[in-house]
Amino acid sequence: MGATTSVHRTIDAVWRMESAKVIAALARYVRDVGLAEEMAQDALVAALEQWPAEGVPKNPGAWLMTTAKRRAIDQIRRRENFNRKVEEIGREVQEVTPDASEGIEDEIGDDLLSLIFTACHPVLGTEARVALTLKMLGGLKTEEIARAFLVSDSTVAQRIVRAKKALADAGVPFEVPEGPELATRLASVLEVIYLIFNEGYSATQGDHWMRPELCAEALRLGRVLAELAPKEAEVHGLVALMEIQASRAKARTGPGGEPVLLLDQDRSKWDWLLIGRGLKALERAEALNQPPGPYYVQAALAACHARARKAEDTDWQRIASLYQVLAQISPSPIVELNRAVALSMAFGPAAGLALVDEIAGEKALQGYHLLPSVRGDFLVKLGRLKEAKGEFEKAASLTRNEREKTLLLERAAACD
Amino acid sequence: MRFMVFVRSPKPLAALHTDTLLRAGVLLDAGDLVPHAFGVSGYWLIDVRSWEEAVERVRRIPLPACVVEIRELPVV
Repeated sequence: MGATTSVHRTIDAVWRMESAKVIAALARYVRDVGLAEEMAQDALVAALEQWPAEGVPKNPGAWLMTTAKRRAIDQIRRRENFNRKVEEIGREVQEVTPDASEGIEDEIGDDLLSLIFTACHPVLGTEARVALTLKMLGGLKTEEIARAFLVSDSTVAQRIVRAKKALADAGVPFEVPEGPELATRLASVLEVIYLIFNEGYSATQGDHWMRPELCAEALRLGRVLAELAPKEAEVHGLVALMEIQASRAKARTGPGGEPVLLLDQDRSKWDWLLIGRGLKALERAEALNQPPGPYYVQAALAACHARARKAEDTDWQRIASLYQVLAQISPSPIVELNRAVALSMAFGPAAGLALVDEIAGEKALQGYHLLPSVRGDFLVKLGRLKEAKGEFEKAASLTRNEREKTLLLERAAACD
Repeated sequence: MRFMVFVRSPKPLAALHTDTLLRAGVLLDAGDLVPHAFGVSGYWLIDVRSWEEAVERVRRIPLPACVVEIRELPVV
């Protein structure tokens, strides 16, 4: 009994390690990721039947690959139109030897990259892209994805079925995009990975353990992508951003689960190993000398905080200028508001107030509680308490978060 | 889950054999130690999903004869 469960845990581990490679290699032949994924699943079922009795093979990845390819041939033989493909795969099966996986890393890399781009194809909605990526690249089970996203198993299963169908209907080719298409397609991939990361990062204490696991999953995916596409600065930018954000995981909530703001965090609780990795990834992005992208700039911002051992050591001038860069590549009033805060830290509250007053008319900021809250903060520092009180009260009336509302009303009361 | 993998060998091996772990996105750190007759000669620090995965990952590394010890890091 004990032996069986241990074999099953090994099969689980092998599956998570090898499934993406198996699906990717199959997809290259059958030109249909949905079909490739089903064949890989068939191979997994075969492993679950045979390995507990016969033991785990020496090269389990090659075993899964060979079995899946045989299933593919069986299946395709039943369809008359695929004669040519049968020949191709037939030849390939002969070539698969236990050591084949070692010598063809580059080919596997191309297939994996194609699989990532296909799973994150923009014809799919975000939820479908996320589910497909976790399923086919992370090797997660449908139930695990469901636990992580707090939805039902059948919802995830349906999402995946529909996504595979949408890819087939759209005739999405199994390839790595080139030329001008690459940038938009890569942006779609990075968006999916960062979404997975944030889903895990926003998990709270009572949540299923699978939710925080999403952060680790996104980090691994990002690191894998950085090795597959080392010349894309934004990939390293995203990895840097995730490593640095993950480094704060233990410091960002208090004993009661309440959020602790960045400047109030106990920096000895930061994971300095991850910070070092993040800074290194940032250097890799910089060394490529490409125009700064949004992930790179956000990572550079995170790095300004990570480099400061104490909150007082923060380089606010650099933060302010980075927000200016970010405002140019992805303009938003929120970025401007952040820049105003950085300016006030670097040059005093008057500088911050000037920028806030400049953007106060922006449509997107109407009804946004942080605008009056930040403005109130600057006014307090300038000694204009009466005006500050009004701003905090306004902010309190705009927020829907009760804890925040109480805090803002306390600040308003403190202005008397 | 983080695991520290200690390599015992007469000559340092760990820093040379990082490729497989790196490509898999699980390697956090690696290094060699000053040689010490058949003692620990180097280490890998990896982040994987289970003990079984740690074992399987290490088994994939094409190493010459050596002894490897896999230890889990506590979650603080």
